[in-house]
Amino acid sequence: MSRPGFTGEACLAPTAVKGPTTMLAKLYDRLASLTFGLWLIGGVCLFLAVGSFSGGGAEGSSINDLPLFQWLAETPLVVSWWLWAAIALLAILAMNTVLCSIESVRMKYRRGNFLVLIAPQVMHAGFLLIVLAHLFSARGGYKQVMPIREGGVIMGPDGSRLQVANISAAMGPMGFPVDYSAELRTITGGRQDVATISPNHPYFSKGAGIYLKEVAVEPYRAALIEIHREPGAGVALAGALLFTVGNVVLLAVRRGR
Amino acid sequence: MKWLLIASIVLYLFGAHKRTLFLAGLAAELAYLAVRGAALGRLPLIGPHDTLVFFSASVAVMAFPFCFASTLTGSRRFSWGAGLLAGLFALLALPFPSFAMPLPPVLRTFWFELHVALAFFAYALFGVGGLLGAMFLFGRERPLLDLQYRASLVGYSFFSASMVAGGIWGYYAWGTYWLWTPKELWTSILWLFYSLYLHLRLKGARWDGVVAWGGIAGFAVALFTYLGVSMLMKSSHSF
Repeated sequence: MSRPGFTGEACLAPTAVKGPTTMLAKLYDRLASLTFGLWLIGGVCLFLAVGSFSGGGAEGSSINDLPLFQWLAETPLVVSWWLWAAIALLAILAMNTVLCSIESVRMKYRRGNFLVLIAPQVMHAGFLLIVLAHLFSARGGYKQVMPIREGGVIMGPDGSRLQVANISAAMGPMGFPVDYSAELRTITGGRQDVATISPNHPYFSKGAGIYLKEVAVEPYRAALIEIHREPGAGVALAGALLFTVGNVVLLAVRRGR
Repeated sequence: MKWLLIASIVLYLFGAHKRTLFLAGLAAELAYLAVRGAALGRLPLIGPHDTLVFFSASVAVMAFPFCFASTLTGSRRFSWGAGLLAGLFALLALPFPSFAMPLPPVLRTFWFELHVALAFFAYALFGVGGLLGAMFLFGRERPLLDLQYRASLVGYSFFSASMVAGGIWGYYAWGTYWLWTPKELWTSILWLFYSLYLHLRLKGARWDGVVAWGGIAGFAVALFTYLGVSMLMKSSHSF
């Protein structure tokens, strides 16, 4: 027996509308259905699983070197079909999430605990923001990797000239670097600024990060520098925080139930 | 100090039906991890040996409070099953050598340790959920399914937090919170699967059997995400 307010089709209110609007109402009912949402999640899982075994989702694939939409445009469908399918289902799932949230709030409003009602919707909002963040990054992401000798100059994201200096590395007993860093020197208006970059400590400028990926000390000192712009990062963080807040509230209100 | 690990395996496998022996096994394993951690100067979270031991201890830590749940107080099956699970993974860790290499610089951050530790707590709770699902399928006692839901919900919360920590770490380490790698794909699959599982419960009591099986299947997905991807696929997340 279904619990009140937790029916299988949680989002569905019986539609009494007849005539030309019936089809639209049916479509809405379908789009706002929990069962449909579950099938969509299952479908996304399936296509991602297929992708993990295909060349397109492999670690060495060019998918990580280009903004996603550019990769999709340039890659043959025979390689990228699983991702197209996953994105299509994800787009419908995002719509399903919005509609289910609206219907859930509409049906349970003024019934029961406000926090119980709102916490899952806050999590849904976090999930949607994370999807949106991926969309921003897929469209406007940028990545450039360049090897450079000590003393060499790179162009910063804002067009400024950055000199890579003072490359240093501490080697471990097995010959691998256990720590390394480099300095980035900028000269603007006769004033010199110095920033140190190392693993996990990039230098941020104009919405892009400058990362020190690797260093070599022999036969000469050189660094592998990466400039990376991830336009969705802020939105992803906001979504993650929203999701976490909703999750913590949900745990608190369901404690002991 | 491997004798501590061996002692914990013996206690888990042959004594876990008694809560005191289960606790003794957990204490021995935690002591082993503490010794490893002190020797390494960090949490032992790298390589198959350390991760399997950490996972085994996580299973025991997460399962132990469930032994006191009113539904399970009269039953020895749960603590025996949890002990079997923890003992099995500790046993799997034994053949692998315990390395003492310095960490690569990119792994030396709080976000990495948080990311990995939370993921193992989540996997452990998914294991507890799977165990409770199996018990439900044998006995059809509804409270077992409620416990499974609780274990999975808390596990899902840990796992979500782990993904957030991993995203923050990735952004500072590689400039992106997301990479298209098999591990990250399977991490997303696992997260989506448990999103599906948690929503499945809303379908009502007629779906109880499916929910129970969902908890078991979820643990299988978690195991593939942890072990399968590392063994079968090329990924930067491999041990």
